[in-house]
Amino acid sequence: MKYAEFPHLGRRPYTEFAQAGVLEPEPDELAPEAVAPWVYARRSVPRERVEWWYHLPTRLWFRVRRDTASDTVLGVEAARGDER
Amino acid sequence: MSVRLLKYAFIEDHAEQPWFGTAGPLRDSYDVVIIGAGGHGLACAYYLAHDHGITNVAVLDRSYLGGGNTGRNTTIIRSNYLTPEGVAFYDASLALFRDLSLELDTNIFYSERGHYTLAHNESTLRTARWRAEVNKHFGIDSEVVDADAVGRAIPGIDLACGGNHAVEGALYHAPGAVARHDAVAWGYARQAVLRGVEIHQHTAVTAITTRGGRVSGVETNRGPVSAGCVLSAVAGETPRVLDMVGLTSPIEIFPLQACVTEPVKPWLDTIVVSGSLHLYVSQSARGEMVMGAALDPLEVHQRRSTFEFVSGLADQILDLFPAMATLKVNRQWAGMADMTPDFAPVMGTTPVDGFYLDAGWGTWGFKATPISGKTMAATIAAGRDHALVAPFNLRRFDDFRLVGEKGAAAIGH
Ligand SMILES: Cc1cc2nc3c(=O)[nH]c(=O)nc-3n(C[C@H](O)[C@H](O)[C@H](O)COP(=O)(O)OP(=O)(O)OC[C@H]3O[C@@H](n4cnc5c(N)ncnc54)[C@H](O)[C@@H]3O)c2cc1C
Repeated sequence: MKYAEFPHLGRRPYTEFAQAGVLEPEPDELAPEAVAPWVYARRSVPRERVEWWYHLPTRLWFRVRRDTASDTVLGVEAARGDER
Repeated sequence: MSVRLLKYAFIEDHAEQPWFGTAGPLRDSYDVVIIGAGGHGLACAYYLAHDHGITNVAVLDRSYLGGGNTGRNTTIIRSNYLTPEGVAFYDASLALFRDLSLELDTNIFYSERGHYTLAHNESTLRTARWRAEVNKHFGIDSEVVDADAVGRAIPGIDLACGGNHAVEGALYHAPGAVARHDAVAWGYARQAVLRGVEIHQHTAVTAITTRGGRVSGVETNRGPVSAGCVLSAVAGETPRVLDMVGLTSPIEIFPLQACVTEPVKPWLDTIVVSGSLHLYVSQSARGEMVMGAALDPLEVHQRRSTFEFVSGLADQILDLFPAMATLKVNRQWAGMADMTPDFAPVMGTTPVDGFYLDAGWGTWGFKATPISGKTMAATIAAGRDHALVAPFNLRRFDDFRLVGEKGAAAIGH
């Protein structure tokens, strides 16, 4: 079982979370030709990226910086209430 | 094969001859470079030589032949998909698979077992009915059967499923089969090499070179190679290769795990899949129970195995087959599945001239090995998409014309 350190929660196993994908700033406006790439284009190569994680028991959201090659969590921040 | 077997019985020295010699030095130039010596890359090389007389071909693999998903998959072969594009494609693959042992002069242990996709609730039964109707329309042997028929056909099954999610019926596909994955890769490799193709193992492609929007070759850890056509057939490493030519795709990489138990006497002759329980099981020719589950939840570029996988799988499979509680798991492993949002592959030409793609095979691409090889070879020879691969072109994500195969591909392989 893999664990990481979370604000408010302490050390929790990965399995307590639903992972909701990579965090990308949502543009206010999209030109028609930019819609498809926004919806579909991914860069699924080994790298560090920031992801949304949702803690199922407490319903808290977190921003998790993770290395997708080694699967290690490098940093965690609690999401603010006004974030979407 | 039978004559060979007879001869084998009378000879003293049973050492198997090498299937093909090791390739010599890497040359400066080929007509076609194929990245990835998995089943798909090797099949394409064979059909380029066999069907089109294109033999100045190099297949490059950064590791060993068949060591990717090809050698890690659980070899379920079937054609009871949900979309007309998918059904036509996979059915053409089954037709090739049936004759493949003869065509490759290699016993691939093709074994038709029948394939049950269990339904534990109304909505799964509805999807099963939908699939059966699409399948029958295309002449594929596929029908919905009730729980009694499931109970008669599958020994040892607990139809009440531990009292939690009783089996209501199933989609039954008589042609469902399994085969020996390594033999498929080796058979294609041997026949390709006999026709002049070179296979270079431990040769990693590190860059793809272009000139004026056209592919001109590749860089490798053994030096540069020029080629007018480059095919990427690298499954779990597709996004890294796309990075080399500046293309993007919706492909995301998730580990997919599987395991086998110790071998026991033959007792399960069909393939059993349950989407609701996220598992599938068949018995190999050696007697092992071959089992798998859903994808791991997180993108990871690594082939590690996890305890969560085996414990989760065991928990579910014992609801279905309580007698398996005494079996020990012998081995577990992982591959890297290249997933697409519509559970259909990404194949054919790309916006970069001379760069071809055969990817997005996720958890279900072994069964497509022969037809992918054949249609990609035709695509490369003609410089345009073969009719069977056209619906799967990368372009579909620009036009929002996805091929909704999820209902038939998710766990069922
Ligand atoms: C556990 C598991 C179970 C599965 N079960 C089934 C099933 O029951 N039925 C089914 O139909 N499918 C199944 N699949 C899916 C199937 O295995 C794959 O879709 C299929 O084997 C893909 O074959 P391939 O030749 O495209 O890729 P691979 O066999 O993965 O070959 C790709 C090759 O490319 C090489 N490579 C990568 N990058 C480079 C580079 N830069 N330079 C040179 N070489 C490179 C790799 O070393 C590798 O050998 C399963 C997959 C897994 C992981």
